[in-house]
Amino acid sequence: MDLRGIGEWFESRLQLGSLYRTTAGHPIPRNSASWWYVFGSATLVCFVLQIVTGICLALVYVPSADEAWTSLEFLNYQQSLGWFLRAVHFWGSNVMVALMTVHMIQVFLMGAHKYPRELTWVIGCVLFIATIGMAFTGQVMRFDQDAYWGLGIGVAIMARIPIVGTALVDLILAGPIIGAETLSRFFTLHVFVVPGLIIAFVTVHLRLVLKRGINEFPVRGKGVVPEEYDEEYAALIEKEGIPFFPDGVDKDIVFSAAVIVAILFCAAIFGPAGPNGEPDPTLIDTVPRPDFYFLSLFAVLALLPPQIETFVLVYVMPVAILLLFLIPFIAGKGAKHPADRPIAVLGVVLICTTISTLAWLGISSPWSPHMDAWSGEPTPVAYVEERSPLELQGAVLIQARQCRNCHALGGRGGQRGPALDDVATRLTADQLTRQILQGGGNMPAYGKHLSPDETTALVAFLRTMRPIGVPGAR
Amino acid sequence: MRPGSGATTTLLLAAALALAACDWMPGRPREQDRPRNPREITDFATLYANNCAGCHGSEGELGPAREFASPLFQAFLPDPALRNVIREGVPGTGMPAFAKAAGGSLMDPQVEALVSGMRRRWARPSRVDASVLPPYSEADAVAAGYALGDPGRGREAFQRACAGCHGADGNGGEEGGSVVAAAFLGLVSDQMLRTVVVCGRPDLGMPDWREPPPELRLSVQEVSDVVSWLASHRPPDLEPARGASE
Repeated sequence: MDLRGIGEWFESRLQLGSLYRTTAGHPIPRNSASWWYVFGSATLVCFVLQIVTGICLALVYVPSADEAWTSLEFLNYQQSLGWFLRAVHFWGSNVMVALMTVHMIQVFLMGAHKYPRELTWVIGCVLFIATIGMAFTGQVMRFDQDAYWGLGIGVAIMARIPIVGTALVDLILAGPIIGAETLSRFFTLHVFVVPGLIIAFVTVHLRLVLKRGINEFPVRGKGVVPEEYDEEYAALIEKEGIPFFPDGVDKDIVFSAAVIVAILFCAAIFGPAGPNGEPDPTLIDTVPRPDFYFLSLFAVLALLPPQIETFVLVYVMPVAILLLFLIPFIAGKGAKHPADRPIAVLGVVLICTTISTLAWLGISSPWSPHMDAWSGEPTPVAYVEERSPLELQGAVLIQARQCRNCHALGGRGGQRGPALDDVATRLTADQLTRQILQGGGNMPAYGKHLSPDETTALVAFLRTMRPIGVPGAR
Repeated sequence: MRPGSGATTTLLLAAALALAACDWMPGRPREQDRPRNPREITDFATLYANNCAGCHGSEGELGPAREFASPLFQAFLPDPALRNVIREGVPGTGMPAFAKAAGGSLMDPQVEALVSGMRRRWARPSRVDASVLPPYSEADAVAAGYALGDPGRGREAFQRACAGCHGADGNGGEEGGSVVAAAFLGLVSDQMLRTVVVCGRPDLGMPDWREPPPELRLSVQEVSDVVSWLASHRPPDLEPARGASE
């Protein structure tokens, strides 16, 4: 039997030729082989990379509350290239979330969610949520202080759901608090359940792409009319269709390769994330921050007035997610080209600006007091020189009574309250005294915590806080 | 050797090198960045920067509270007193207790690291003549045969040695602010007054007890006297802030 004979023997059984014709070789519109259409495939490549690196990590990682942190430390410091593996998995996840978001925005802007691809969009939304779920459970795998408190916040959100909240928390945490079995549950979710769901839904997503065809590149002034679309699309494929593989795949390959190189590069240069401090709830001098995809949510939670937090979390957020699912049913036909859809473009710009602004606030978190500023941020020397003994005592008390945890001096310290560098130009001695004793605005009243001498000293010092040549408030 | 096997070997070697180089990449977590339990830090620089620099200055000077970078102060303050102040704080003043047992955040080895670190960094025994140094506390002075501080004598000594800057009645002059303001005296211990009379605040321009010309200098007895005169300005209903060694 010659080589060709062997090939035919296998082909007659596996029938790969027809599989190729209906999958990788399916025809796509020539103009869809565009640089705009590379993000979905790159997201999938990231997912494969996550599976490969994830399997390698699972060989070492111990999903138990006692040993997880130690096993991460082992990977970082003892296992040869263990840190690199962690870094690739971490950057891979960041890039995957980012690419998926870009893919989603691009699909929306190109009108690809419209008839007949509504279900593709809906499945895509499911994948979006599942990927965010991977990101969240992955953050918990990195079982450090960020993970511990991030998880605490996550379940605190769940606990607010009426009626079933508490039961849900018990289910997720394996009890009312983060305990020994919590990590096992999250490991199961992160390694088996959610990836399984992603594989299943990616299969459906891809089948829909194959069956309903890939979106043609939108043309200005031309919209979707469901009654005519199928015939038009078939005619387009007939006229200028090219097989996805090998003719239409080149840009996807180039872009995906670039993404992999970028991930490896980031991993090598910036390294893995954490683990930071041990997840010990008795260590309170910690500033936990979520990974970037949750920074905006973190900011929303911090900035909302407490009385509407539950309303926003339990009602507004699910409605917003539902709206995302419903987009193709709300706007499923008509114009596709972004230039014909000003409101859609404006909506994307608005949402992106809002989320990035909130994320930026989440990074800088000006609402959090700097709990170690009082002992760790020296009083600026300029505020110490030329001061009387009483004023110096006031300067000591600004530190010792932890005023600086919320009020900055010389740009250092908390930003929750106003900086005190020029407070004497704004407040008189009487106003300062009243503000310190009675509080006001966001500031608590310190009258019960300060002796009259301490207040006198603080006011004496604060009255010196004005630029040279600028008179004090009168 | 087959032709081409050289190239293969080179390629393999290059790949192995590239892989080995990964362990030298900037992203590799460095041992010194390894997160540590804050309770296990015993390195003086970190402990000082996190706990002391706020009030005492990042270099042990030019902070609103006690200057440490003075060899005289380092010689004047005995180890047990230093340890005790860090551990228990000075009640009634701005100095909080740092020992875990006293409600602070530092473990015993960390307090010891601060004590020995401060000595290592700032003590210069060769530059201080310990034999003429006044005893640390008034009690030590009494034990060494000196009399208790006397406000009457203290007033005279103050007017000779201190009035130049702080004014004849202590209410402040051109160079120095008031040292008899009730609120000020309510926030400092007698020991703090004694320490500042002896050691000055060289970083802020206040001389120590040896610096003035001989006719203006204070004697060891007069140090106690000046402190008792200053303390006599406390309003009668005010309990003095308890000094660390009292």
